[in-house]
Amino acid sequence: MEADNRGLSYLESRKLVKRWNGPWPAIANLLLIFAVFYATWWVFQDPRGIMRMYTPYVGYMVCRWLLIMLIWLAYIFDFWPFNHAWLQRTHPVVKGLILSAVCVAAMEILIKGFFMGILGKYGIAYFNPERLQAMGLTHFYAEEYATEAIMMFAAIASWLSPSWVVACENAPWQKLAQPARGITIAVVTFFLGTIVYFVTMHSHMAILFYPWQQYTAITPPYWEEFANTVSGNFHIAWIMSCTVIVWVYEGIWERYPFNLIQTAWLRRTSAFFGIIAVALCLCFFLYYAQDLAWGESIRGTRREMAPDWRWLHVGESAIFWLVGVLFLNFFCGNYPTKYSRPVNVFLRTVISAAIGMAVYFFYYRYAHLVLGTQKGLSHPQQFPMIPMIWLINLFLVNIWFMDGWPGWKAVPKTASERDATAEEVVAHDVKWTPSLAKGLAVGATAGIAVYFGVIAAMPWVGQIQMIK
Amino acid sequence: MDDKITASRRDFVKGAATGAVGGLLGGMGLYSYTKNAYDRLPKVAREQQEFGAVRSVKVTAISETSWFNNAHLMEDIQKSGGLLVDQYTIGWGPFGNGKGPGKSSYAEGIAPIKAMLPNDLEAAWEIQTKKALHPENPGGFSSLLEVEDLDGSKHKYLLDVGWSYAWMDQAFKREGIDEMLKTGEIEQLILTHEHFDHFFGLPVAMKANPKVPTIIHNGFYKEGLQYIKDSGYQGELKIADKEMTLIRPGMMLIKFDVPIICRVYGETSLAFNVKDKGLVLISGCNHQGILQMTSTAYKKLKYDNDRFHGLYGGLHISPFEDWDPKYDDLVISLGKWDFEKVGCNHCTGHLTAKKFVERGYPVVRGTARFRSSSPDYLGNGDTITF
Repeated sequence: MEADNRGLSYLESRKLVKRWNGPWPAIANLLLIFAVFYATWWVFQDPRGIMRMYTPYVGYMVCRWLLIMLIWLAYIFDFWPFNHAWLQRTHPVVKGLILSAVCVAAMEILIKGFFMGILGKYGIAYFNPERLQAMGLTHFYAEEYATEAIMMFAAIASWLSPSWVVACENAPWQKLAQPARGITIAVVTFFLGTIVYFVTMHSHMAILFYPWQQYTAITPPYWEEFANTVSGNFHIAWIMSCTVIVWVYEGIWERYPFNLIQTAWLRRTSAFFGIIAVALCLCFFLYYAQDLAWGESIRGTRREMAPDWRWLHVGESAIFWLVGVLFLNFFCGNYPTKYSRPVNVFLRTVISAAIGMAVYFFYYRYAHLVLGTQKGLSHPQQFPMIPMIWLINLFLVNIWFMDGWPGWKAVPKTASERDATAEEVVAHDVKWTPSLAKGLAVGATAGIAVYFGVIAAMPWVGQIQMIK
Repeated sequence: MDDKITASRRDFVKGAATGAVGGLLGGMGLYSYTKNAYDRLPKVAREQQEFGAVRSVKVTAISETSWFNNAHLMEDIQKSGGLLVDQYTIGWGPFGNGKGPGKSSYAEGIAPIKAMLPNDLEAAWEIQTKKALHPENPGGFSSLLEVEDLDGSKHKYLLDVGWSYAWMDQAFKREGIDEMLKTGEIEQLILTHEHFDHFFGLPVAMKANPKVPTIIHNGFYKEGLQYIKDSGYQGELKIADKEMTLIRPGMMLIKFDVPIICRVYGETSLAFNVKDKGLVLISGCNHQGILQMTSTAYKKLKYDNDRFHGLYGGLHISPFEDWDPKYDDLVISLGKWDFEKVGCNHCTGHLTAKKFVERGYPVVRGTARFRSSSPDYLGNGDTITF
């Protein structure tokens, strides 16, 4: 079967059905995922393992670009060149292996061919390790700098690429057949990503070199005063928040509340910029929360007192929440579902945040015992985003490529279910009424009160001894 | 009527749920990163612990050249798997096992040389020249501290013991450290942290005085603790487990619990209150960050004139001549602390020293002797007095 005639993608046209009742599917999948996580971590990333890509930037770049490839293949290209019939009849494990291999191959081509090859050789030297080494850098740092730059591109793509699908609904190319639609959106988001890269990360890279490369980049960068650092980690903070909010909006929020807007262009534009706005709220809060918990940052310090680290930690903290969001969405049936959409969204937000905080705590307390990393919050060469994104990649492979095997199986949606999915673009279950308005006012007041309660509690939270 | 009320309640709940998320996000976005929000942060209370004073502190850089070829060091690290790899497995002397980068272990490395420590170090290092990666590359970091009390009496301390047995033996002889250890003139050995270039040369000091009182950070791994025993140490090992440990009046050891590259945890540094001048900070590598140290000292200690007078040591900014924009934050911000004398070397990095000088910081230049590569900063055999 080719692309659904209602324009539904493969992911929209299938329904995942539990193979067993109760929590067993989730338990089975998580056991499988954690086993694969640890095996692949040992082979590829672990500093004690086989390939030891966690140098750190080589491994950081790989896990981030792998994430982008998964998103491109499943969301943007709708699995092209594989057709829906093949996806439906092929065993999930075989699909998982083949589609993952395709992503790895595409990632290799992009990194080695485009970034290091074309861009690094003919455009911007810092994308190419050999060029940097030829100019006197050690081989190690030549690779670290180049992979850091390539990794930053991926950070931007991890926000923009899915955003175009989730918020902009593939517009205005939604009616194009694959691969034309995929190529178009990939190229457009890559172009936008390039602009964002130049105005956010290029200056960061330019001041890696002595003297500051003031003829090719804005130095000192324009954000210095606002962010209290010249580091591009300030941008990592809000961009990673955007990445997380895209999936929050797509998953546990079910595209609420922007899907209430009936006018297509307004809905899409509101969703796109709304995601950014929500991400900025999250970003500023997570930064402020650290200042409340650990004391105000001091510019020029290292580690957890430094503004650059705290901006980075905003992105890291957001990723812990994303793990909670995807866990709830993928393995708990987007629990809860029995209430109205706004109530479900509210409860899922609270539950996923609680899961994220628990993962955060357990990561910093125990992860060094198994990942080959160092205990402590702020090791300058350790990025919790690497294991978290590695885990998220496996979540996505399991759910997108393997239809949730072994705990779930994919069955085609019925005609009415497909109709419902197609119509779901605009939600009709929340209407403007005086009661709704009263509820909004009361809820907003309560939300603000909770916010001030949280920030009042942060100094106490900061006293919790997480590292032992 | 009931249906209407029920619908109205449902709408209210829907609105309340939406409003709650919206209100929470609104607070986060509109308040968090504002001046008002920061005005509510409590002012930092200075504890200003009295810890006495000294008349002067003289530092001799016995060796600041931890390695002689940066490319070789980084090649070893890269081939082993990067900056998170356990230092005992990389294959550096004295723990090389001849199996190549990243394939060594403490047990395999120490086995053939254990019996030779600490008295037959030439033979031990000779074995390592056949098994270790780039055996000609190690040097080491070590400094002699001469503290003059207010009554004029002088006290000597050895800060770290370097790396290569051969190099450190030569360096100790050059500065007379071996004799000072033998005679007990050196009152205490302070091992700032477990890193190879500060710690692996321990048997050289043990050869001269295996009972010298020694203090270490409580973050040493089991291999490090075993190496202290295997090096022939017979004295009483003191483990710093509090943030502040008074070494003598006017000399405070400050402990920082920070994760460090090559699987090391924690570092200690020293603060001196020099009478009528102010605070002097001395570090081995300063992995915690120099401004982290200044801000800790500012909050916790009381010192003359309430000012920072001097700074010495590896400042761990660009140890591998690498760079990161956050280092510029440090270079830009250091000026606010207004140090009168900056004696830096070792893992500070030449590029950092150059940037310090460009900003007008009072960096004390060196003489580039005994294989120190540049007069940009204090080198081997150079001294600085605070």
